[in-house]
Formats: sequence, C-alpha cells, structure tokens
Amino acid sequence: MAVFKRTTKELIISISEFFDSIEIGLLVFRVGIKSYIEKDMESFMRHLEKVDTLENNADRLQRSIENEMITHSILPQHRSDVTRLLNELDEIIDAIKKSLNEFIIEMPEIPPSLNKEIISLANTSVNAGEELIPAARAYFTAPHTVREKLLKVYYFETETDKISFNVRKRIFQEMNEIDLAHKAHLRYIIHHIENISDLAQKAADLLSRMAIKIII
Amino acid sequence: MVLFFLTSGLFLGWSLGANDASNIFGSAVGSRMITFRRAAIIASIAVILGAVIQGAGTSDTLGKLGSVNAIGGSFTLALAAAITVYGMTKFSLPVSTTQAIVGAIIGWNIFTGNPTDSGTLSKIVVTWISGPVLGALFAILLYILITKFKKSAKIHLITFESYLKAGLIIVGAFGAYSLGANNIANVMGVFVPAFNLQELNLGLFSLSSNQQLFLLGGIAISVGIITYSKRVMDTVGGNIVELTSEAALVVVLAQSLVLFIFSSTALVNFMIRIGLPPVPLVPVSSSQVIVGCVIGIGLYRGARNINFRLLGEIGIGWIATPLVSGVITFFSLFFMKNIFNIEVGHKIIEGAPETPVMTGVTGSEMSEIMKYILLGILIAGTVIGLYYYLLERKKTRELKISEEKFWKNLK
Repeated sequence: MAVFKRTTKELIISISEFFDSIEIGLLVFRVGIKSYIEKDMESFMRHLEKVDTLENNADRLQRSIENEMITHSILPQHRSDVTRLLNELDEIIDAIKKSLNEFIIEMPEIPPSLNKEIISLANTSVNAGEELIPAARAYFTAPHTVREKLLKVYYFETETDKISFNVRKRIFQEMNEIDLAHKAHLRYIIHHIENISDLAQKAADLLSRMAIKIII
Repeated sequence: MVLFFLTSGLFLGWSLGANDASNIFGSAVGSRMITFRRAAIIASIAVILGAVIQGAGTSDTLGKLGSVNAIGGSFTLALAAAITVYGMTKFSLPVSTTQAIVGAIIGWNIFTGNPTDSGTLSKIVVTWISGPVLGALFAILLYILITKFKKSAKIHLITFESYLKAGLIIVGAFGAYSLGANNIANVMGVFVPAFNLQELNLGLFSLSSNQQLFLLGGIAISVGIITYSKRVMDTVGGNIVELTSEAALVVVLAQSLVLFIFSSTALVNFMIRIGLPPVPLVPVSSSQVIVGCVIGIGLYRGARNINFRLLGEIGIGWIATPLVSGVITFFSLFFMKNIFNIEVGHKIIEGAPETPVMTGVTGSEMSEIMKYILLGILIAGTVIGLYYYLLERKKTRELKISEEKFWKNLK
C-alpha cells in the first residue's frame, strides 16, 4: 500500500508539472512573439530554447504519466479521457514550438503598422490557452467548476478569431504597398498564432465532456 | 462413503463461489482496478473465515426449517438444489441457491412426514423481500455520503481513486467474509444435523463438528472462486462497471452489510440486549440483494428506466425456485430410498434423542482427514503465496529495467 501511495503522489506531481510546462510554454510564446516584433533576436532565441526544453519535458512527463496509469491500474474508468486530454494539451506546446520555429526559419517581415495587432493577436490567443490550464487542473480537484472556467477559453478564442479576421482583412484590402506573396506569408504566420487558441478550444471541448461524465 | 455424500454439498459450494464472487469483486476486477489473482486470493481467505467463524447462525435457522437426520437425505437435498440451480441457470431463469435449498428442505419435510415450521418459513421468505429492499436503502444512504464527501473534500481525483481502490479491496474482503458467513448454510447447512464429528484441536484454536463442515464448504466456495469466477466476473462484472467507481464500491458495501446483518449472531445478541427485535439469521441471495442496491442508486439518481421486468423475474424466482427444487427433492428422495435403498431420513419424534446417521467413516476418522486437509491447505497456501510474491517482484523488476532502457535510448 505504501508503494501505491508513493505512486499516486508521484503521478499527481507529474500531472501538475505537465500543466506547468504548458502554462510556461504559453507565457514564453507570448514574450517570444513580442521579442521578434521588437527585433530583439537574442531574447527570441533564448525563448525558443526555453520552449524546446519545455516541449521535451512535457513529452517525457506525458509518456511517464500514461505508463504509470497503465502499470498501476490508476483511473481505469477515466484513463482514456485523461490520456486524450494530455495529448490535446501536448499539441498546444507542440504548436508553440512549431510556430516559433517557423518565425526563425522563415523570418517573416512584419510591417511596423501591424506590430500592435499581431501582439494583440498573440496575447488573446495565448489567453485562451492560459485559461484552459486552471480548468484542466480543476478537473482533478473540483470537476463541477470546470465548465464555468472554460467559458473564458471560448471567449478568448472568439476574440482571437475576430482579431485575426480584421488583421487579414486589413492586409489584403488596405495594405497595397506589400505584394501578394508577402500578404500570403503574413496570413500563414497569423494562422500559426491563431492556431494556439483553436487547439485550446479543441481541448476545452474535450474537457467539458469529461467534466460532465465525471459529475453525473 | 461419507465423503462421497458430501460431494453434492461441495458442488453446490463450488457453483456458489463461481457465481457469487462476481457480486463482490466483479466491478473491481471488471474495471481493472484490482487483478483477478489478488481478488481471488482475498475472497478465498475471507470466505473461509466467514464460513468458519460466523456460519452457525444461518445454519441454525435452516435446521429449524427441517432437521435432515440422515446423510443420504442431506446428499439428495444438496444435489436436488444443485440440479435446480444448474437447470434454471441453463434456461436463463433467475435462480438463487438460498431459495433452492429452502425448497429442497420443504420437499424433504413432505417426503419424511415432518412438519414445516411456518414461523421459520415466513421469517425466511420475509428476508428474501427485505434483503433487496434493505440493500437499496443502504446503497442510497452510502451513495449520498460518498458523493457529499467527494464534493466537499476537494481531493485530487487520483487520490480519491486510490482510496476507492483500497476501499474496494477492504469492502470486497468484508463482502466475501459476509458471503461465507451467510451462504455457507446453503452449502453445508443440510449436512449439519446428520454429522457429528470429533472436535478438532489445532493448538491455537479448536474447530467444532459444524465448523469443520463449514471449513470444507468454505474451501469448496474458494475453489469455485479460483477456478471459474473469472469468466463470470468478465461478463457480469462488466455490467456493474457501467456504474461509477464510487457507486460500485457503495453497491458492494451495501450488499456486504445486508449479508452481514442477516448472519451476525453478535448483532442479534446486541439487539436483544438493547431491547430491539432481533434480526432473523437467514441466508439471503447476494445476487438479489445486489439488484436491490443497483436499483436503489438508480432511483436516487432519478433514473426513469428501471427494469421492472428484472424485478418481476426476481419475484417469480421466489416462488418458482423453491417449488422446482422441492419437487425434484421429493422424487429424488423417493428414488434414493426405494431404488438405492439409502436411508434418507425419518420423522422426528418429539423428545426422542437424535442420533446422526453416518456411514463408512467415523467422526474421529473424519476429523483426522480434516487435519490432513488443513495441513494441505496451509502448505499449498504458503507455496502459492511465495510464488505470487516472487512473480510480482520479477514483474516489477522487469518493468523498471524496461523503463530505464526506454529513457536511456531516448536520450
């Protein structure tokens, strides 16, 4: 029984560390985008490295949590749901890493007139992800509060869509000084930033279903 | 010959273990919260302890219904009950060993011209109805308590599940103990009046004649659990799993409490001491109690689709099972007495001293056999325990090596 208790504690810590990795990853993404727009490449590279470490850590924790749950028959009824949730959250940090890597590989040229809007887009998209983490934590401790926490995720996702729509509209309809290839490239970069909130919404949908299942 | 006569009771015990263990550990094993091996070991030990320590009360009640005074009669009764259970199960009809054995005793009473004590019979029949009802009430109360605790304690889901897992093991052990205590009367109760074994002194404690019989019955139930209950758990257990883990724990605990209440002599003595009417010590059907518990939780949660057909089938079982079993017993006794010329019992004359009819082996020889059986169990138990421990250690070590290798390769 003592061994079992230790496993339980270790697993709880691992899950919490996994959530921490995602949460910090989102923060780093926010400041990383800001650094890129402010052309502070040294800081951007530091953030990229940090995200790389966090993503590796999240992968390691995810595998270890899944292994522990199977080996010790923990949460047999909710295991597949929890595994899917971890996968969805892992996809967020994967997307963060991929997105920052796209910046460093493609070096998109962001017109200074769009700086404010791109930062706002990144902030709102990251907000959706950030609001997801407390809800995911609450699933394990207070499942009846999960759905109310998720409302903010849906709000920020809608806001991100609105900002993204406006920015893209501005790029294609008002900014005649840049060529079509540049416009397409910017659209692609915007899609990457927007993707964080879409993934957060996807995870929120799953979490919402999981919360209902556990409450009834 | 005596050992041969016991085989029908032992078979009944085997089928009880094979079927009823799933009511206790089915949900835990079906949901993979505990391995079947661990569940079988816990249930086997607990069921034997329950039968030997607390099995006397319900056997006394069955004895009052009909004191089968010949071992040939006991054999026939147990066999007829076993045939009834097997036949009705084969035709997918709801059946309970308890009801089959009661029907068989009444059949014996009619055949031998002994009167059936209507007071005892009504007491037994009332518990068949009150058992599932009490189970439902307990289940509702316990379910309210556990859900309130879960909501207010705000403990981590994994910690809560670990408590549930430990709870399922403890409650499962209690359930198996109660099953042994309550249902051993079905298996060995009819042999009690016909046997008079010498007290078996084992140094630390001694076993009376009845306890030796209960020990044999308990072992038969354990063999049923180990050899056949996994299949039943995989099928029946899966249905119970559809409940949440906490509901599964509640159902097993409520069922165990009902079985315990209807078999605890200490509880009866306590109730008499504080001036309350005593609970009758009667074997009840664990399967029917569990249906009551599940329906109780369903009603509390506002389920509208209660399976009234299932309730109706249980009701029919209360009448059909004793009737079928009684008829089979009556004709079997007729054949045993007139064709095989075996003494199956006689009319009990009030005041006349009762001498148990035992053929072939004497009471002291039987006790000697019991000693060897106990020694065999002790040795087999130690060997199996050691083997299990070593196997678990090997598995843990292999898993650790494989994990270390995985992370090493990944780096």
